Amino acid sequence: MATGANGAAQDRDDILQVNGVSKRFGGLQALGDVNLTVARSSIHAIIGPNGAGKSTLLNVMIGLIEADEGEVVFDGTPLRGVSPHNIIQRGIARVFQTPQIFPGMTLLENVAIAGFSKRDGQFTVNPHQSLKRSEVMDEASAILRRVGLGGKVAEDAGHLSRGDKRRLELGVCLAAHPKLLLLDEPTAGMARHDTNKTIDLLKEIADTGVTKVVIEHDMHVVFSLAERITVLAQGRIIADGKPDEVRGDPKVREAYLGGEH
Amino acid sequence: MSTTSDDRSAGGIAAPAGDRGGILEVFKREPVALAAFTIVIFSMPLWIPVLGGYEGLATLIVIWGIFVLGFDILLGFTGYLSFGHAAFFGGAAYVTGFMYRDVSDNVIVAFVASQVGTLILAVVIGLLAMRRTGIYFSILTLAFAEMLFAAALSIFAPLTGGYDGMTRLQEPNLFGVKMDGLTIFYIAAAMLAIGYAMALRLRNSPFGVMLRAIKENPMRLEYTGINVWRYKMAAFIISAHYAGVAGFLMVTYEPYVATKFLHWSTSGEVVIMSVIGGVGTLVGPIIGAGFVLYFQNVVQAVIGEQWRLILGLVFVFVVAFLPGGFVDLARMVWKATGNRLRARRHNVPDMELTETKYGTEERLR
Ligand SMILES: Nc1ncnc2c1ncn2[C@@H]1O[C@H](COP(=O)(O)OP(=O)(O)OP(=O)(O)O)[C@@H](O)[C@H]1O
Ligand SMILES: [Mg+2]
Repeated sequence: MATGANGAAQDRDDILQVNGVSKRFGGLQALGDVNLTVARSSIHAIIGPNGAGKSTLLNVMIGLIEADEGEVVFDGTPLRGVSPHNIIQRGIARVFQTPQIFPGMTLLENVAIAGFSKRDGQFTVNPHQSLKRSEVMDEASAILRRVGLGGKVAEDAGHLSRGDKRRLELGVCLAAHPKLLLLDEPTAGMARHDTNKTIDLLKEIADTGVTKVVIEHDMHVVFSLAERITVLAQGRIIADGKPDEVRGDPKVREAYLGGEH
Repeated sequence: MSTTSDDRSAGGIAAPAGDRGGILEVFKREPVALAAFTIVIFSMPLWIPVLGGYEGLATLIVIWGIFVLGFDILLGFTGYLSFGHAAFFGGAAYVTGFMYRDVSDNVIVAFVASQVGTLILAVVIGLLAMRRTGIYFSILTLAFAEMLFAAALSIFAPLTGGYDGMTRLQEPNLFGVKMDGLTIFYIAAAMLAIGYAMALRLRNSPFGVMLRAIKENPMRLEYTGINVWRYKMAAFIISAHYAGVAGFLMVTYEPYVATKFLHWSTSGEVVIMSVIGGVGTLVGPIIGAGFVLYFQNVVQAVIGEQWRLILGLVFVFVVAFLPGGFVDLARMVWKATGNRLRARRHNVPDMELTETKYGTEERLR
């Protein structure tokens, strides 16, 4: 809270600021006074042991969970009180820890929905549609090719493997043209070969200027992607810095790297 | 007829030209489905008597066809099972009756009034019931319809005629043209054809895809930047208007408002018709409506009250063995005769007792 007030003097280069966010679930302090800034166009990793509060932090960012205290500022405007679809419309996309897709629809439809969201998200009747249906469809199939699902456009999403579902969800997120992409363990459930492909894809997306926040357990992924790493343990930030700084931090070794791996 | 329009490849925004079920295919298919549909419906007075029915039965089937078509937009596309659609059917019927009795015998005046009434009801009920999903939504809609039924019989009895229903209405007419016999049939049939065309359009538009996405994963949809609430309210209101149009036509066809129009059994009948015919297929529920009405009128005349028992057995059989309804039967026959088909899931949403707003299932790893 205290930092939230001062945080108003915001850095031009920060796309996202988390100011003093706390969240309790009953007696459990899932997040305690979390302060975090994400630099524009960077890849920012959040790591920490199971139950550290990583997913909860992302949930707070997109309004899925309301913080007890503190605020999230995206692109200069606080998100408190903004409804989830409007938060997304402002340019945030989220890949969930459990893949969230439309199982009974084709891959193409899955991605096209996101393509239509800019145009039709608010359900306003606009006779002068700038975006043509065929354009959305073409882009959707281009995105599916890009995430490596180009051969399956007409298949039902529900039949995909878990790794493919994750890739599809990434495609859905890309179709919304986000400024900030939040990824909750994007490579979980993937074989090493696919993991490497995903890393390449994420790097490629980052080159287009999209900011990314990645939660990841796989240290190989973290250290090959992240420009900055934040370490959470029991809802608190115990380290925050460049990969090398974090790697050498004894607190991190103790709380996370040592304990887990 | 059914096989041209229920194929999933025609549903929703299709693949770009070249891909399977391409968008061009949809534009080719839609008019075909619509033309076939229109011919079958409009020729009903010719072939219904062959099956032992009478002209009025054709009108009833068309009117209920409109009702179930709208119901399918809500249940089949969006996945919301309303047990209270009688509120819109009966509500519009009462407004129509009120107009004919006390205000004007002009059908246009009654039509407009009944739709305004439907809209108000749909917004009020929708605002409260659409906050819930699954069984809770069903129960809320049922409760509203029952409240309306009770109100019509008690506090509004001086207006509605209470248990006697609304009687002594003026004969409805369109600037002197009486609404009898084939006139009302063709008006109703035209409305059904328009309603069907609109539903087809809707299903193949991005709007229709959003509704299907609500059924599939509302949380993902909201977090893809779509205002889910507005879409599902729109689906609810559109669906209510189909019921409202049917209610208006019912009273225009037979100038009398029965209390049954508001009764829960009317809501139940719509559910039965939809499930028997094939939820989510648009034509299926209309076939279901025809089947149930045929039983109620023609079969009843032959075998008496046992028709209910037989209809019940048919319903049980369909739910147990043919979750896709009659349309699935047609597809099976189609397939058995060596034709190729794309797979289609049955569209009855499995009801969940767990209330999930958005998320929390994220915990279920
Ligand atoms: N909706 C909720 N209701 C109650 N408790 C919750 C809820 N969401 C998270 N928690 C609890 O908050 C703590 C943090 O959970 P969170 O999912 O954020 O952890 P995480 O760091 O993402 O862990 P993992 O690596 O296992 O995904 C956990 O103890 C979890 O049980
Ligand atoms: Mg998590």
